Amino acid sequence: MKFIFTLCLAFFAVWGSLQAQSNVSISGTLSDGESGETLIGATILVEGLNTGTTTNEYGFYSLSVPTGDSITLIYSYVGFQPELKRILPTADVTMNVGLSTGVKLEEVVVKANSFREQMNSTEMSVEAVSTREAKLIPVLLGESDILKTIQLKPGIPSGSEGTTGLFVRGGGADQNLIVLDEAVVYNPNHLFGFFSTFNTDAVKDLKIYKGGFPAQYGGRLSSAIDIKLKDGNNQDFEGSGGIGLLASRLTLEGPIKEGKSSYIVSGRRTYFDLITRGINESQKDDPDFTPIPDYYFYDLNTKVNIQLGEKDRLFLSGYFGRDVFGVEGDFFDFSFDWGNATGTARWNHVFNPRLFANTTFTYSDYQYNIENKATGFSFNVGSNIEDVNFKTDFYYTPNNQHTIRFGANVTHHSFTVGRLKAGSDDGTISFSAGQEFEGVEFGAYVADEIDFTDRFSVNAGLRFSGFNSQDKTYVGLEPRLAARYSLTDRWVLKASYARMYQYLHLVSSAGAALPTDVWYPSTAKVKPQRSDQVAAGVSYLLGSQFLINLEAYYKVLDNQLQFVDGAQLFANDELEEEFAVGEGEAYGLEVSIEKKEGRLTGWIGYTLAKTQLDNFETLNPDGRFLQETGGYGAFSPIYDRRHDLSVVAMYEVTDKLTATATFVYGSGDLRWLPTGRFTFQDIYGASFESVVPDFQERNTFRLPAYHRLDLGLVWQFHPKHDFTFSVVNAYDRRNTFFIYLEPEFEEVDNGGVLVEVPTRIAAKQVSLFPILPSITWNFKI
Amino acid sequence: MKQFSIIKYLPVLSILFLAACDLEQEVEIELPEYDSRPVVECYLEPDAPFQLLLTKSSPYFEAFPSLDDDFLSNLLLQEAEVSIKHNGITYPLENELRFDFFTGKLYNYSSTATVPYDTLNPFELMITLPEGETITGSTQLLPQIPIDSVVVEVAESDTLARILTYFNDNPNQENYYRRMLNLSSLDSIPEQDFAFTDRVFEGNVVLGTNFEYERGDTIYSALFHIDKNYHDFLQSIEAAVAGNGNPFAQPSPTANTLGGTADAIGIFTGLVYDRRMVIVDF
Repeated sequence: MKFIFTLCLAFFAVWGSLQAQSNVSISGTLSDGESGETLIGATILVEGLNTGTTTNEYGFYSLSVPTGDSITLIYSYVGFQPELKRILPTADVTMNVGLSTGVKLEEVVVKANSFREQMNSTEMSVEAVSTREAKLIPVLLGESDILKTIQLKPGIPSGSEGTTGLFVRGGGADQNLIVLDEAVVYNPNHLFGFFSTFNTDAVKDLKIYKGGFPAQYGGRLSSAIDIKLKDGNNQDFEGSGGIGLLASRLTLEGPIKEGKSSYIVSGRRTYFDLITRGINESQKDDPDFTPIPDYYFYDLNTKVNIQLGEKDRLFLSGYFGRDVFGVEGDFFDFSFDWGNATGTARWNHVFNPRLFANTTFTYSDYQYNIENKATGFSFNVGSNIEDVNFKTDFYYTPNNQHTIRFGANVTHHSFTVGRLKAGSDDGTISFSAGQEFEGVEFGAYVADEIDFTDRFSVNAGLRFSGFNSQDKTYVGLEPRLAARYSLTDRWVLKASYARMYQYLHLVSSAGAALPTDVWYPSTAKVKPQRSDQVAAGVSYLLGSQFLINLEAYYKVLDNQLQFVDGAQLFANDELEEEFAVGEGEAYGLEVSIEKKEGRLTGWIGYTLAKTQLDNFETLNPDGRFLQETGGYGAFSPIYDRRHDLSVVAMYEVTDKLTATATFVYGSGDLRWLPTGRFTFQDIYGASFESVVPDFQERNTFRLPAYHRLDLGLVWQFHPKHDFTFSVVNAYDRRNTFFIYLEPEFEEVDNGGVLVEVPTRIAAKQVSLFPILPSITWNFKI
Repeated sequence: MKQFSIIKYLPVLSILFLAACDLEQEVEIELPEYDSRPVVECYLEPDAPFQLLLTKSSPYFEAFPSLDDDFLSNLLLQEAEVSIKHNGITYPLENELRFDFFTGKLYNYSSTATVPYDTLNPFELMITLPEGETITGSTQLLPQIPIDSVVVEVAESDTLARILTYFNDNPNQENYYRRMLNLSSLDSIPEQDFAFTDRVFEGNVVLGTNFEYERGDTIYSALFHIDKNYHDFLQSIEAAVAGNGNPFAQPSPTANTLGGTADAIGIFTGLVYDRRMVIVDF
């Protein structure tokens, strides 16, 4: 591996020197001049020449310009005042530029910048939201949540309380690569999915790829969600925080050495438990009172950013979060905690103005632990996945027509699946179960973004990936191709193809994704998942303020896992015997219109989609999968949503007052309900079951449509203070969380004996929350 | 292994919300069409008569007949030809309603002949329904696995006792069990009733309870040695009942243990067990 990279570097160095003969390179970093935060996706244009570039995810750019006449460079980024730099290009030069927010300009070029970037890039099927948008758009109980906000974009089904997973373009909940500062986050949820693990105060940037995956991303089939934490203010100490009904949060950042290094620490914690503990304490003498369970979550983000010189930068960042749930009774003490821990050490190095490298060492851990202590007896159940990952990525810009990326990564995974220890305190009763696996996942890629003409560009890449576990090695070649053709300045056509392999599987029940879902490696029997996705789309710039996107996709999925009927999930040392493997397909059409500038901003997104799974075979020949053996054929997963609409509007009423409105509408999710029933009298000594459901074909019942309006108002009553008012579910819609069928009984006098007989069955719908107003106070120090 | 399930704790948070607002309401829904299926329950207990209950399933929302109406005719599937063949002998089961006052169980097909305790040869069930469709099944009696002892144990600082039931599991074979523990009488709702495998233990095994029994309580502790079919069937019944109403549970179709053309649900199995009675005394 080392030899290959040395060879590559030598090749690119020689090519670079040849290319450099008539051009010089201007490179550097673009940042927020007030805080030192690097700016991702900022634009650098050469005035008068039809050439330019954008900063990469580390704020670095490299641009080739001809030697000779002096030129003017325009550095710009939405929300910042453009900076003009005039230079005489005679030799390679480093230009680190800081932009200031300053006075807002009315130039069209600035307003359209973000759209121009989208229009000019080969990237498609990409969605992004800014932290500003995330902070304005309320989610439950006034908390902002950038991961929930991105779900308002087309192709990422929104709404639906109680479902924790992201189901991108018909993919499963395990098919999303979620990386926080390049470390994988295995469970991005708090509170069973109502909140994400990402504290918006600490996040700089979030981008989600739904298709057309660049070659640097691998390991998941359906999306790559790349989240970058803020670097920390390297100019001044700054603090911010908020106190809401659910949680409080505090972020502190500042320079370690002004202009050279910085830190950021951000934490938040909920305080349900303080209230419920008080209630429990006050009611402890009431024998009829059932204690309310304790629940809280917290998370902590930290980052240190050190500029080691002109060419080197070091970042150290970490995340730790936990959900803690507990309930105590007279005879038991139950606790359940789960959470992620990640750590990242990252080194950016500029070899020369054309070659930039990012080398990362990450650590990820996700685990859950359940413990129950009854009188004289206890049990402990848990699972975890732990990764150690080394990764290096190179950015090479030989000229303005080519941007080449190449790199490699290797990850060591450790899995503990279904660890169980149970027994009595005196050791009389004792048993245990669980499996442990280790695996090594690796990948290497190369991709070139080629601008053939101003109108036509292609990003062609190839990824080689593999996985080794239990003496079984899988490898795969993953071609990636994306193309852009500009018909006019306003019309752009795009198309992409991507093959993805996924070597890890999330074993989750058919009901909903839970913290107890288990990550399972590919083994000799469980083959890697694979997908092939093609997408094609058209973008139209309407006027200077609106971008309309229309995109269609078709995805084929192989080696998809489902549980067999009646799967035994706990205390099972042969879990893969409970799997069935099949295939699937997903297709859909996404339309969006977006406005990013002006007093009114926001977007409308609509998705028409369908997902189907088929041809499942059980890994254990004795396994049951009625969907196949009963001849029912293809079925849709519960998250198959035919229509999905989201409307997001943010209106700046005055400089101090911003109003927001979010409306979502989606076809109801699918559920597997029983269609028949029978009585089961059982044997002597056992209970008589008068109604046993007879489940047949999977997921044939569609829940009522989901819709909801959320309103928000941010009042900046002081330069450093604001109140955020929000009303979630403004018209008090009772959306369905789940439906169950409940027999009703009455007592009948049967010859002098009172007999309880069923009289009817009622369908009951359970909703999770009514209209929820809230207020949050946000402050800056 | 019901007690290890986290699932039952998860809706608690939902209940917190529900307690505050009326978030549950009755709705009208339409389910796909459903064709009624025969339902068989036949347990072969050594030295007990051959007896079988043949009923039929219904669409989920079909009205329940009242006891005043022809309740049984709506429930029972009559006029079938039922026989059980064993070791070359065919035992026909007559279609007559029989209520066992001792066990409180009802059967509509039975024979006066009793089940021979033969663990070597299979029993074959053959049912021909009036329309000509068939139901078949096969099972074999298993050797009894005896309970070694039932021990009443009291914590030093407590006035309540727990019940420990000891038995020996043969580590050289895969065994399936049904555990049942009743308080006061066998007519009571069992305190414990679950099917399990010996996947996570072997050798000397003890099944325990919490410290919750008082002096003078009568405990019936039973251990059934069952086959995989019966184990899977019981698990699937439990999962089917749990899967309706719990959004975190995985629904499960009933395990299919029967053959034939009638697409029947049910179980045909041997019933070999050891049951001990103890009176809590300390």
